[in-house]
Amino acid sequence: MPGASVISETWLWAGWAAAAAPFAAFVLILFLLRRRPGAAAAVSLAAVATSMVFALCLLVCCVDMETPLRSVVTWMISGDTVISAGVHLDGLSLLMLAVVCGICLLVQVYSLGYMAGDPGFARYYAFMSLFAGAMIFLVLAPGLVQLYIFWELVGLSSYLLIGFWFEKFSASRAGKKAFVMTRLGDVAFLAGLLLLLVRGGVMDIAALSNGAAGLSSGMITVSAVLIFGGVIGKSAQFPLMTWLPDAMEGPTPVSALLHSATMVAAGVFLIARMFPFFSQSDAAMTFLLAVGTVSMLMSATMAMVSRDIKQVWAYSTISQLGFMLMALAAGGYFAGVFHLFTHAGFKALLFLCAGMLIHAFHSNDMFVIGQGGARGLKIPMLCMAVGAAALSGIWPFSGFASKEAVLATLVSLENPAWLIAGLAGVFLTAYYTFRLVFIIVFPAGRGQTRAEDPARGVAYAYGAMAWPVILLAFATLVLGFLAAPIRHWLAAGAGAHEAVHGPAWLAPLSLGLVFAAIAVAWVEFGRKNASQTGFVERVRVVAELFARRWYLDDIWGWAVSRLLDRGAAEACRQADNRVIDGFVHSLAGAAVASGRVLARGHRVMIQARLMIMFAVVFGLTCIMLIWG
Amino acid sequence: MQLHSAQFPVLSLILLVCLAGLAAVVLLPAEKKQAVKYVSTVCSAVTLGLSVYVFVAYDRALGGMQFVEHLQWAPSLGVSYINGVDGFSVPLLLLTGIVFFTGVLTMWEHDLRVKEFFAMFILLVTGVFGMFMALDLFFLFVWYDVSLFPMYLLIVIWGSTNREYGALKLTLFLLAGSALILPGIVYLVAESGMGTFSLPALVNNADFSPFAQKLAFFLFYVGFGILAGVWPFHTWSPAGHVAAPTAVSMLHAGVLMKIGAFGILRVGMFLCPEGWAFWAPVMALLATIGIVYGALAGLRQTDLKFVIGYSSVSHMGVVGLGLAAMTVDGVNGAVFQMFAHGVMTALFFSAVGYIYDKTHERKFANLGGLSHVMPVAGGYFILAALTGIGVPCLASFWAELLVLLAAFDVYPVYGAVAVSALAINALFILRVVEKTCFGPVNPKWEHLPDVSFGLGMPRLVLAGVIVIFGIMPFLMYETIQSASMLLISGLP
Repeated sequence: MPGASVISETWLWAGWAAAAAPFAAFVLILFLLRRRPGAAAAVSLAAVATSMVFALCLLVCCVDMETPLRSVVTWMISGDTVISAGVHLDGLSLLMLAVVCGICLLVQVYSLGYMAGDPGFARYYAFMSLFAGAMIFLVLAPGLVQLYIFWELVGLSSYLLIGFWFEKFSASRAGKKAFVMTRLGDVAFLAGLLLLLVRGGVMDIAALSNGAAGLSSGMITVSAVLIFGGVIGKSAQFPLMTWLPDAMEGPTPVSALLHSATMVAAGVFLIARMFPFFSQSDAAMTFLLAVGTVSMLMSATMAMVSRDIKQVWAYSTISQLGFMLMALAAGGYFAGVFHLFTHAGFKALLFLCAGMLIHAFHSNDMFVIGQGGARGLKIPMLCMAVGAAALSGIWPFSGFASKEAVLATLVSLENPAWLIAGLAGVFLTAYYTFRLVFIIVFPAGRGQTRAEDPARGVAYAYGAMAWPVILLAFATLVLGFLAAPIRHWLAAGAGAHEAVHGPAWLAPLSLGLVFAAIAVAWVEFGRKNASQTGFVERVRVVAELFARRWYLDDIWGWAVSRLLDRGAAEACRQADNRVIDGFVHSLAGAAVASGRVLARGHRVMIQARLMIMFAVVFGLTCIMLIWG
Repeated sequence: MQLHSAQFPVLSLILLVCLAGLAAVVLLPAEKKQAVKYVSTVCSAVTLGLSVYVFVAYDRALGGMQFVEHLQWAPSLGVSYINGVDGFSVPLLLLTGIVFFTGVLTMWEHDLRVKEFFAMFILLVTGVFGMFMALDLFFLFVWYDVSLFPMYLLIVIWGSTNREYGALKLTLFLLAGSALILPGIVYLVAESGMGTFSLPALVNNADFSPFAQKLAFFLFYVGFGILAGVWPFHTWSPAGHVAAPTAVSMLHAGVLMKIGAFGILRVGMFLCPEGWAFWAPVMALLATIGIVYGALAGLRQTDLKFVIGYSSVSHMGVVGLGLAAMTVDGVNGAVFQMFAHGVMTALFFSAVGYIYDKTHERKFANLGGLSHVMPVAGGYFILAALTGIGVPCLASFWAELLVLLAAFDVYPVYGAVAVSALAINALFILRVVEKTCFGPVNPKWEHLPDVSFGLGMPRLVLAGVIVIFGIMPFLMYETIQSASMLLISGLP
């Protein structure tokens, strides 16, 4: 059918264009519009809106197709190694593309208000465009090398955006920390990728997935675990999770983007993209399940004691990413991906609401925000309530549907420990979420202080910030009901036959846990005369452990400063100065010294020299006479 | 080795333009500083144009030695003047042209003994050009030494920090290298019994015994390796980088270190393939140590130029590892890394040079917030740093990718160790960026001007080259490939 191929070529063209538009905006802003903030924002928004339009067209028209569309061009050839670039359009990449473009667009609109008047406004939009473009190319990548390349560029853009306010040491340090810690994971990723390339010779994800590479099972396990290293770094899992809470040093819209559809989502997306490949190794998947579970529980405990609103959402991101990885590792392809989508929506929502509050009250401290009269700000408060309900997993918000799917996957595992851990996570999530909500809505000593007009200072920017939030809240309300079509679109991927709904007791059980947690939070933080002290805070040691992030930061700091800086690096420096240069210097010294010794021979008296000369001449003459 | 004669002696023309520029600079009166600079700029621009022409006109499908010129010189000694370029030397000629041009522009504000400086500088570049295109071992060695000697004067007269020490150390190290190379060349020529220094003749016809190849390769590897910054013969390089004036650092780290690696490739690997195979594991070991060691030692430095110096040791280790793999990927990656690292360090030193010119400060603890004061100059510095970290879509990424790929294939353990150095590299280079460009502005630097468009030109050119070859690596790989396929397929 000739018509079909023409149509599919058009769609491929649209895929390329969707990815290229933000890059074009990046270049344009960087070179021409650095001093024109308004034009820079317009270009950036236009580019991401273009991508969004293409993404929606593609989603509507192509998502039902049976075979993925792909267009691949050769990027580089060296010997037998061919590295290609391209776009790969199937259910997963198209849905992800829509999510990425949608959130990028909303965040950029929101930033019009949030970043208004910032001296680096144009630079901000340049980096945002780079971020969007890199993430889109990552999502559309048909090959692993391309995915890795844009994976690194996503990391680069996060570095630039987290450290956006580079005059602050804390910000530039957080950016560096994010880059280096994710790089640590990426080193493993690169090693796994190279191993696959060397042993299998194939970089195409589809080929790797259907076993065309002919790899041994041991090789698959080793390379899968190495690639998980990259996921652990990017998606901030144990033990590389500590960069993410610090990353909130960036502007809040950046955090919203970072925590939802872009940076951290890349790790989970990689697992989903290569799901059939990873599924070939049970050992690797069990490893991933353990990592996800540990990170999920650990970061949930950290969120229970934090006072910083953005930090709580950051910890909850780590925790929810852990959920997604658990689902994927347990074989729940749809559950993991669906939770990725719903989480992207409600986490962006929560961060953007937090940004509005921070913008209004100039503080990150939830107690200060609460006391300042945050409940007067209707839009962010209502929307935050929607987001919080979704995060806790309350029906009918989107988080309920996806979390149930995750739990249903865990039920199907033989070992009940994973399910118990998952349910514990549900309880903790609801607890820390509503702890925050109650602290802000029902501050201690309520009714006494009343802010004059909380929205006073932000009136100028309010509109641009409010609409994205409202749209996201709406999405959070409806996304849960779209589980069936999304599942259908993803079916081409892999696990079409997994359970979406668990046994009948599961949903009541998890909802019961959620409401129990909310009740605990209410008793401690919500009701009148509440002590405003959580149950973990009553045990000093535990509270300290949680507040210090299980001492992970200290351990990493110790490793870098002691083992690396003062250990290995200092050893190398000393080796250079003392051993190698010491040898060189002593060689030079020896040359000079031997010169002195030889020179001494020339310092004798003239008579002695004449004697020596005669002796030599006499000796030579004798020799000549004898031979002659 | 296939030779394709030149229709027009474009390679000799490059040398002649350099020599004409040198003569013009020497003949101009010393007071006419501006005229000296213009002459040098024109000379470098013409050579850059010619090297771009060679890069574009080189027939990749044909491969082999092209633009070959052949003149008898001293037949009784077996010395002839042969020039020619293949896929390995074409990128390096381009690199030399780029660094020459941008180096001259970088020194535009230079004001001390201008005439002498540019005369030395052009002489040095002439040697480098000659070395990359010479196909006669005698000439190759002469050009090699021509490119070394001006270095001593350039550092001693125009250098900074500890310059006498740095210059002397550099010169002695490199002379020690020469003292190994020359016997190696003479030994091979004598061993061949052909009485010729001509590289094509020796490669095509001579039949060296395995022992001779192993011995000669060792001499070449150590001799040229000193210049290539091979661990543990690298300590001259950070000290020399630091002492040298900006443009000389650019040329030195950007091009001169490549001469060493190129010498190993052109003389050692072409003439002694069995020696190459024999010593490859040692090369791989030393290169891997260099990669990690350079990054680690860089972590403890406090001087901007020392940091770049040690990162060069690490990056040149990548070249060594690629060459040691003895595969098409490895050699491709190594040669690409030579090019990419050359442009990158040139940009690095050029950016640092601007910062130093304005602040007279290179201890990065005393800098800080420069991105605020000079966003463009800081931007170039950051771009160079990102290239050094191996960020994709910047030139070095592709080189590192291929070298690591080859290493994983041939030496998996070394490959794994080398990959881990990427994380250390990121840590130490980003630390420098943070201390230099980010953080609160030091009030001392608040009123410094940002780099103007004219002064920024050389940096813009270098940055452009990094990005172009980072996005379109195939432009370079197709050229390199034409030579590496021949070299690897010709291995015994």
